[in-house]
Amino acid sequence: MLVLSIAAILSFSTRLFSVLRFESVIHEFDPYFNYRTTRYLTEEGFYSFHNWFDDRAWYPLGRIIGGTIYPGLMVTSAVFYHALWFFNITIDIRNVCVFLAPMFSSFTTLVTYWFTKELKDAGAGLVAAAMIAIVPGYISRSVAGSYDNEGIAIFCMLLTYALWIKSVKTGSLFWSCLCALAYFYMVSSWGGYVFLINLIPLHVLALMLTGRFSHRIYVAYSAVYCIGTILSMQISFVGFQPVQSSEHMAALGVFGLCQMHAFIDYVRSKLSVEQFNILFRSIVLMGAVVSLSVAAIGTATGKISPWTGRFYSLLDPSYAKNNIPIIASVSEHQPTTWSSFYFDLQMLTIMFPAGLYFCFNRLTDANIFIIMYGVTSIYFAGVMVRLMLVLAPVMCILSGIGVSSTLNTYMKNLDVSRKDKKTSKKNVDHTYPFKNEVATGVVFLVTAFLITYTFHCTWVTSEAYSSPSIVLSARAGDGGRIIFDDFREAYYWLRHNTPEDAKVMSWWDYGYQITAMANRTILVDNNTWNNTHISRVGQAMASTEDKAYEIMRELDVNYVLVIFGGLTGYSSDDINKFLWMVRIGGSTDRGAHIKEADYYTPQGEFRIDKEGSPTLLNCLMYKMCYYRFGEVYTEGGKPTGYDRVRNAEIGNKNFDLDVLEEAYTTEHWLVRIYKVKDLDNRGA
Amino acid sequence: MRGVLHFLIGLTVIFCIECKVKQDAIDGAIVNSKVDRKIDVSTHLVKMSTSITLENTGKSPIKSFLYALEPSLQNYLSIITANVKDKDEKLGVSQTTVASKKDLSFWRIELPSNLEPGKTMTVDVDSSYAHALTPYPAEITQSQKQQVLYNGNVYFFSPYSTKSQTTTVTTTNTAIESYSKSPKPVSQTDRTVTYGPYEQREAFSEAELRVHYENNSPFLTVTNLERIIEVSHWGNIAVEEHISMRHTGALLKGPFSRYDYQRAQDGLSSIKAFKTVLPAAARDVYYRDEIGNISTSNLKEMDDFVELELRPRFPLFGGWKTQYYIGYNVPSYQYLFNKGDNYALKMRFVDHIFDDMVVDQVTVKIILPEGAKNMRLETPYPVTQGENQLHFTYLDTTGRPVIVIHKSNLVEQHIQDFQLHYTFQKLLLLQEPLIVVGAFYLLFLAVIVYVRLDFSITKDEAKESKMRVASLVEEVQSAHDRRSALYQSYDDAINKYKSTKDANTFAATRKKVDADYKSLTQQISDRQYKDLVALAITLAEKLVSGKINKQQYLDNEKINKTKREDLDSKMEALRSSLA
Repeated sequence: MLVLSIAAILSFSTRLFSVLRFESVIHEFDPYFNYRTTRYLTEEGFYSFHNWFDDRAWYPLGRIIGGTIYPGLMVTSAVFYHALWFFNITIDIRNVCVFLAPMFSSFTTLVTYWFTKELKDAGAGLVAAAMIAIVPGYISRSVAGSYDNEGIAIFCMLLTYALWIKSVKTGSLFWSCLCALAYFYMVSSWGGYVFLINLIPLHVLALMLTGRFSHRIYVAYSAVYCIGTILSMQISFVGFQPVQSSEHMAALGVFGLCQMHAFIDYVRSKLSVEQFNILFRSIVLMGAVVSLSVAAIGTATGKISPWTGRFYSLLDPSYAKNNIPIIASVSEHQPTTWSSFYFDLQMLTIMFPAGLYFCFNRLTDANIFIIMYGVTSIYFAGVMVRLMLVLAPVMCILSGIGVSSTLNTYMKNLDVSRKDKKTSKKNVDHTYPFKNEVATGVVFLVTAFLITYTFHCTWVTSEAYSSPSIVLSARAGDGGRIIFDDFREAYYWLRHNTPEDAKVMSWWDYGYQITAMANRTILVDNNTWNNTHISRVGQAMASTEDKAYEIMRELDVNYVLVIFGGLTGYSSDDINKFLWMVRIGGSTDRGAHIKEADYYTPQGEFRIDKEGSPTLLNCLMYKMCYYRFGEVYTEGGKPTGYDRVRNAEIGNKNFDLDVLEEAYTTEHWLVRIYKVKDLDNRGA
Repeated sequence: MRGVLHFLIGLTVIFCIECKVKQDAIDGAIVNSKVDRKIDVSTHLVKMSTSITLENTGKSPIKSFLYALEPSLQNYLSIITANVKDKDEKLGVSQTTVASKKDLSFWRIELPSNLEPGKTMTVDVDSSYAHALTPYPAEITQSQKQQVLYNGNVYFFSPYSTKSQTTTVTTTNTAIESYSKSPKPVSQTDRTVTYGPYEQREAFSEAELRVHYENNSPFLTVTNLERIIEVSHWGNIAVEEHISMRHTGALLKGPFSRYDYQRAQDGLSSIKAFKTVLPAAARDVYYRDEIGNISTSNLKEMDDFVELELRPRFPLFGGWKTQYYIGYNVPSYQYLFNKGDNYALKMRFVDHIFDDMVVDQVTVKIILPEGAKNMRLETPYPVTQGENQLHFTYLDTTGRPVIVIHKSNLVEQHIQDFQLHYTFQKLLLLQEPLIVVGAFYLLFLAVIVYVRLDFSITKDEAKESKMRVASLVEEVQSAHDRRSALYQSYDDAINKYKSTKDANTFAATRKKVDADYKSLTQQISDRQYKDLVALAITLAEKLVSGKINKQQYLDNEKINKTKREDLDSKMEALRSSLA
């Protein structure tokens, strides 16, 4: 109990590095959108939130917020907010948002303990809880300020799993209903619920195949599936998908199979073996034919939607790269590297197979579930960096089981008290020499592993995952800290010094931040639902000034915002993202004239210096980033206009902008805002 | 926009006139024998200090005189004060109207003593005008310097005739573009333009004064200031100021180039940073805005004030605006005074924001502790008091009373103290801690009740029997514990007996231990150990009395001891299995 509460507190406090080091501020990109919607929800109430048509985003299309998001996160924090205000605890909604993720991670710690306890025993539960409290793979998404769906979704997911195990174990309707409710919460908060609704049927299927199907499972699954599906359809973004899209078909199929299996069991108990065999064959044949034809008709008539790109990329890692540049352009969707496995999980990668071994050792219904969860999630985590998040909890659970079982085995062999030593010397087990020594060694080794794990996790958290990315910091020559607050400088400038209805064009990464912080209308944002629109922006960025001007006039753009790191050496700027703009811009019909090859040198390099391709040196993005940069000395001993990210002197220095004028550039040139000039007067 | 603003300010000024319906007549007996006017336009304010020598040419003594505002400036007035020359005491100044000159704005200045016929008296009148300077050209590029235009009156605009007068205009620097050259004599030396002396001018005489000059001083205007003062009787006053500001100089035309700004250090009229002076006791100062902390500020602690150098997120060019808030805590003993249950809060109505500040609109909200009553406000100048509100924050039940005060068009001279009197029962201080204590008390009570109650519908047999067994086991355990302690004392007694050979004490101890043992054996029937102890006793007795030799004793004792140890470990095992 004490260990558990310490773990829960630890998991909260280790995520506060960023607040202490910077301030209580929302991080990254998506959280800004969540924060903005939450604020809207708390101010306007649920119904207007539900019907909210946001005209600040996706100009000129707009976006129906209520119907296109998972509202779980916003509703959760709004509930917290109102509850606190009810007791006159006047806490700012921003602080509720910032501290929500750490709070839910300490809930996760508790749930993990319970879950693992259900699977194994309390000891393993404690180890797993302690591990999940500090596992970097999970911290990366739940530090204070990272106000994103995943923060609460992991909690929901583990809660659903724990309740599922409980209901499988007991076969009681009560637990199944709770499980369905937890599933509903999960659906309302994260799109990753699809993993869940596929994993549970898979578990049931596996149980059927291994002949472990029983009434308990029948009750549990039927209840969870029916109630869960009906509840999940209440989320307007999900709507009828649970009965239409192919991602959910597995669950439906298993549900049907469940009924059949139960029916067959029933019939089998009533009929003789021969009669049963005949019946069984004919029914299986008929059932297969009917279900196949239904599926075929459904797909043909469009009732069952085809698989979306993101799921194809889950199954085939190279799919996105070849077909949908917009998905591939997000670094989160890249396949995971080995180093990042180790970075995020450290010793868990080693202990995970041990845990699997112990689970196989004592196979139960629940253990089968955790094995399947582990194996599938390790595959998905390998496909997409982002799904590391799903893997981290199961890694902790299995490692918890592994560590605790190992220690249990060897602790027994330790000779603890002196009195026992005398007796044990008399009856030394000759088949197992150095029993005590080996045991001591193993225990020490495991302890050492655990200690290094703790140090590693703390280090990773403080170094890698606790920078808000909206405020950058660098070390100055004298060891002091320099803070680059350019993003907020620019956004705040936009907020106060542009007309209220100004439209800002930028690459979609910054969309959410601009709407949240600058409160201005933007063309595209991080909700990348309209590929052609994003592509249009990409085309504008990749075209020459004249062409771009046409596009910008067409889209009513007043201001253009680019991120430029050439002066400070900030590497994730727009020039480095530029190839994606070209690819996405060229991926639609209207942008067919934009070809990626034009932006490379004949040798196939992407260069910004004199050798670079003329198309690149004259496109809008290049000009906006390097406007008047050619006159600046950035580094001693280097010519003017030396780009510190690409380590090259820029190739196109003295040029003027015809259709744009510099409206604002931040102190370190990180953000540059340009104003689109009006059309010339006729005759002038 | 500016025009509208001025109109609004003018309107409020006019409104104030209406609310104090005062009528005065122009007394023809008064003559301004000598007037010396100094107009300082070096900043974005117009500061006019007029030294008037009044002469009473009539028959009866004079109590007060009228001061008329120039028509071109009357909408811009921020503050007007008057004192007798070389004396600090402020004279009473109040707004008034004159029936014959309805469209003009008059102020009546009370004299400290009656001005007898034929006598003279010199009065200094200081007035400040905000937004009276017009940028000309109205739009400049980043590299241009800002030039402004001052439009005024060459003559002292007075309801009385003036015998002799001079006017000097002080500009920012020597770069004076042009100035009106008539009526003569007009002269310019360095940064001053001198008009006059002029002799014998009629009342209300006018002639255009126009100076066009370079003025790069910060044209910074606080368009809206909300000052929130939260008083806590636990020793703290929290002040927070929400400030919207705007550069009201010439608008920026064309692009803003960061390169030129960094390299050439141009943008002379832009505002990069300014200094705010906070009270010396200010602690926990923060400087933030809607999207988070602003990291560009420096705090310097001086002896009698705290200087805060603020840099907005971006430099302010003409027409650009920004918003931020700063807050700090001050200890309440410096500002809050009490006598019994009567309290008085004495604080500045507005505080320093930057030098030569101009504040268009101020809302001051004073949040008093819950339970404060009978609020009475005293202000150094007239203000509009809004409707009182209630504010709810941590641990509040009925809400804290909030006094809301509005005032428009303020300058530095308005930094003066207000006083707020109210009554507050000291006992109410304990209310909030008691709420916390009560809440915890209820929580624990609820837990106690919950644990003791059985909410299950059906009786859980297994659980109940388990609990029964648990209690039995516990009983047995404690009995065993006591028993082993008892045996230990037997051993001790024997050892002691062996060493001291004091049979009497031994017998006494033994008796006592035996009695204890007997009562215990009623609980436990395991007597083996007792027998062994009895054997040990007899052996020891034999040894002491010399019935057996030492070697024999040692052998016997050894056997006995191992047996006892075995039993000991058995009991230990039993106990741990029960635990």
